[in-house]
Amino acid sequence: MLVHDATAQTSDTLVIGGVPLNSRFLFGTGRFPSPAIFQQALEASKAEVITFAVRRVDLDHAEDDSILQHVQDRKLIYLPNTSGARTADEAVRIARLAKAAGLGNWVKIEISGSPVTLLPDPIETLKATEQLVKEGFTALPYTSDDPILCKRLEEAGAAAVMPGASPIGTGLGLLNPYNLSLIIESANVPVIVDAGIGSPKDAAEAMELGAAAILANTPVAKARNPVAMAKAFALAIEAGRLAHAAGRIPKKRYASASSDLAGSLFGEPQSDNGGGIG
Amino acid sequence: MPLKHNWRDFQLYVITAGGCHPGRELVHVMEETLKGGAGMLQLRNKTGSRQEVLREAKELRALTRAYDVPFIVNDYPDIALEVDADGVHLGQDDQAIEEARRLLGQDKIIGISTHSLEQGLAAERAGADYIGVGPVFPTNTKPGRAAVTTSYVSEAARHIRIPFVAIGGITLDNVGEVLAAGARKICAVSAIVGSEDPARVCRSFLEAIRSAEAGGHAIRIRLNGKETTTSAGNVAELVEQLGQGNKRLVAEVNGMMIQRSDWTSAALTPGARVELIQFVGGG
Repeated sequence: MLVHDATAQTSDTLVIGGVPLNSRFLFGTGRFPSPAIFQQALEASKAEVITFAVRRVDLDHAEDDSILQHVQDRKLIYLPNTSGARTADEAVRIARLAKAAGLGNWVKIEISGSPVTLLPDPIETLKATEQLVKEGFTALPYTSDDPILCKRLEEAGAAAVMPGASPIGTGLGLLNPYNLSLIIESANVPVIVDAGIGSPKDAAEAMELGAAAILANTPVAKARNPVAMAKAFALAIEAGRLAHAAGRIPKKRYASASSDLAGSLFGEPQSDNGGGIG
Repeated sequence: MPLKHNWRDFQLYVITAGGCHPGRELVHVMEETLKGGAGMLQLRNKTGSRQEVLREAKELRALTRAYDVPFIVNDYPDIALEVDADGVHLGQDDQAIEEARRLLGQDKIIGISTHSLEQGLAAERAGADYIGVGPVFPTNTKPGRAAVTTSYVSEAARHIRIPFVAIGGITLDNVGEVLAAGARKICAVSAIVGSEDPARVCRSFLEAIRSAEAGGHAIRIRLNGKETTTSAGNVAELVEQLGQGNKRLVAEVNGMMIQRSDWTSAALTPGARVELIQFVGGG
């Protein structure tokens, strides 16, 4: 099959921090209705990278669950996030903790500058990126969709940049596709659109713009059927990727027929007037 | 009137500090400490007139007698005699132990502050009944005096045979270190009389001292931001006792991460800040 051949091409393998990935879906693990549904959705997503958060153990509830217990048998790349951090120092500490737990050296730098919007603090994010790169981490900063900031993060050594489409959990989709395309255009590292994705349509849109991958959590976990939605996302991401590579048509103001008018049954026989309904 | 029990059994020694509780009556505050279990009480008033000290001494003598707790007067052997206190406490700059002994007789308790093992041994030879060992930590009660740290406490625990009391800057947060160094009698001033609830603080001090005496097992640590008492000796025991042994956790002690393979050898010391961290769903 053509589709199969296209995805199997090694030239289109996503490489982050030297690691080749077959899936362009980075899978968030929060807010699933149950561990069982989470596992099935993860399976359906075909994702190879999962994100999770680092928290103090709730000592009042010994049964309180740890996400990693449900994925221990799988071969996955762990992308712990630094959510909860408000400063670069706090983010660095969380990253070191995750590394010490033997989860590898990838980290999603997430430093919230506002409890209302959860938008990333650009200054602290850049500082944390610089520090963690220095410490040998594969640093993936979640950032606002600012082209200059993304460039600065790339220069600081980020393995990928992860601009948000819109604030975390809002499902508002791509609020500024123009900025995203500027970021993608100038980036020399993969651009992963993270946060704010509402549905597979948004994911496909971002991929068509040229995003290297999508990180999504809430739109899958909170869907009526998370397992089906995980599969829908996987397909949309793949579709968007293929569409980007295939090259979409330029937008035009007026219609242009998809069949030549020549040979139309109704007009005067003429040599070079097109026609026919598309 | 002699004490009904052996005064040497005291574990918590409280000293007055009127400046620490403005607006609250000295006698009232000190009664709270006795209710909380203070086993020895000292009147220290370096700024008041002799008349004032005498008045306070009379009040506290009556109070401590009601609680059958030894009462010590700082600096004034004559006042100690006049109010029939159980003894006096001297500083290194005060009159000699021998002189105080002549004045007070064999039955009174004579204690003295010492700041080095040398001074401690000298006090013992001179016939002191107990010594103060400190200041262990820097303290506002005795500004300008260098802290002797817990190293003198450890030396005293090894070499001093008469009762010794660790003193100076000791709070509920650092008492664990002092106990770990070998002290079994603790004196606190501002941490107790300067608190809103002196009785409660006394009870907490006694709890710490008693658990240290019970074999040094129960200690106070700060676990995930909360003050906790634990009998765990190391990180592995702590995690097991918390019922978290089957989880993939990260342990951090005093800001240092401890690999799981090292949990058994990672001893918990009093006052340790322990963070137990796990991984939860997130995007």
